[in-house]
Amino acid sequence: MAKRNSRQIRLTNKTCRQMTDLVFDYLNDKLSPSTKRDFQQHLRICPDCVNFLNTYKKTVSVTRSIRPEEIPPKVRNNILNFLRRRVRKSATSS
Amino acid sequence: MASSSSMTESSYPVTTRQAASTTQGLESSLSRPTESRRKRPSSKDDSALIERLKSGDQEALKAIVDLYSSKLYNVAHRILGEVADTEEVIQDVFWTAYRKAKTFRGTAQFSTWLYRLTVNAALGKIRRSKKTKEVEYEEFLPKFQEDGHHLVRPVVDWSNTLDENYAKQETQQFLKEALDQLKSVDKSVVVLSDLEGLSDKEIAAALGLTVSAVKTRLHRARLFLRGKLAVSLGHSAA
Repeated sequence: MAKRNSRQIRLTNKTCRQMTDLVFDYLNDKLSPSTKRDFQQHLRICPDCVNFLNTYKKTVSVTRSIRPEEIPPKVRNNILNFLRRRVRKSATSS
Repeated sequence: MASSSSMTESSYPVTTRQAASTTQGLESSLSRPTESRRKRPSSKDDSALIERLKSGDQEALKAIVDLYSSKLYNVAHRILGEVADTEEVIQDVFWTAYRKAKTFRGTAQFSTWLYRLTVNAALGKIRRSKKTKEVEYEEFLPKFQEDGHHLVRPVVDWSNTLDENYAKQETQQFLKEALDQLKSVDKSVVVLSDLEGLSDKEIAAALGLTVSAVKTRLHRARLFLRGKLAVSLGHSAA
């Protein structure tokens, strides 16, 4: 099974290592038409690269789902007070 | 770690036909996370504010704090991890923006300039403190045999089991800890791209990198995060 799979993968012009290097541009739709064709051809016969692609995409989607940190109101007030003091100081010194 | 034979976690279970069917839907591009993020002010809003800032209008400074403090806080806090350090960085960024508004020529977007000031200040603070939790990436990156095949086969698709194994909050906490282990510049790239939704070009301008370097860093960081998630679920990072 593994041997047959190896032969098939060689026939697609792309190795799994090359697929890993191309996945970023593939997902951003930045591959040339011929490279994209090779990429998709490899996916059709290589379950390992399909699984790799799925987990890569999942990693990106869960990273993007991290909730933004909210600025605490106290920190925002501290920043505004700092700026007021600085502006006042620079106005009196000039 | 060179190997002439593949290491297997179990027997090779997915047939070629299954692989073909599993690829359905994989063509969709990854969209930027803008829909889930706070919207950035338009450049038109920015232009009017910058003109007022250049003339020393203090109300314009407050308006800029209102518009950008949440976004810049998010970026700086993700990079620094501590509230006190983040506050210091953000107040310096706004003060610098106020003082140097006259030097802003508008060749880049105002928001990009603010991001640049923020990331540079945060990275400078990390360099000075010499506090770092960075780990070597190698252990968590994919590995291959000499002929280019995956070293550990089968590669397990854990994309659907992640949500079953962890509550959303647990995954987010785990990812935040993994993010903290990235090199500071790589972490900045991930934060600006995947959390703030900036384009590769905007990130390159903000960090003083080439677009190609941004892509390389982002890809490598994602491979590391993927490896960390895989290991946390009991699979090989390779």
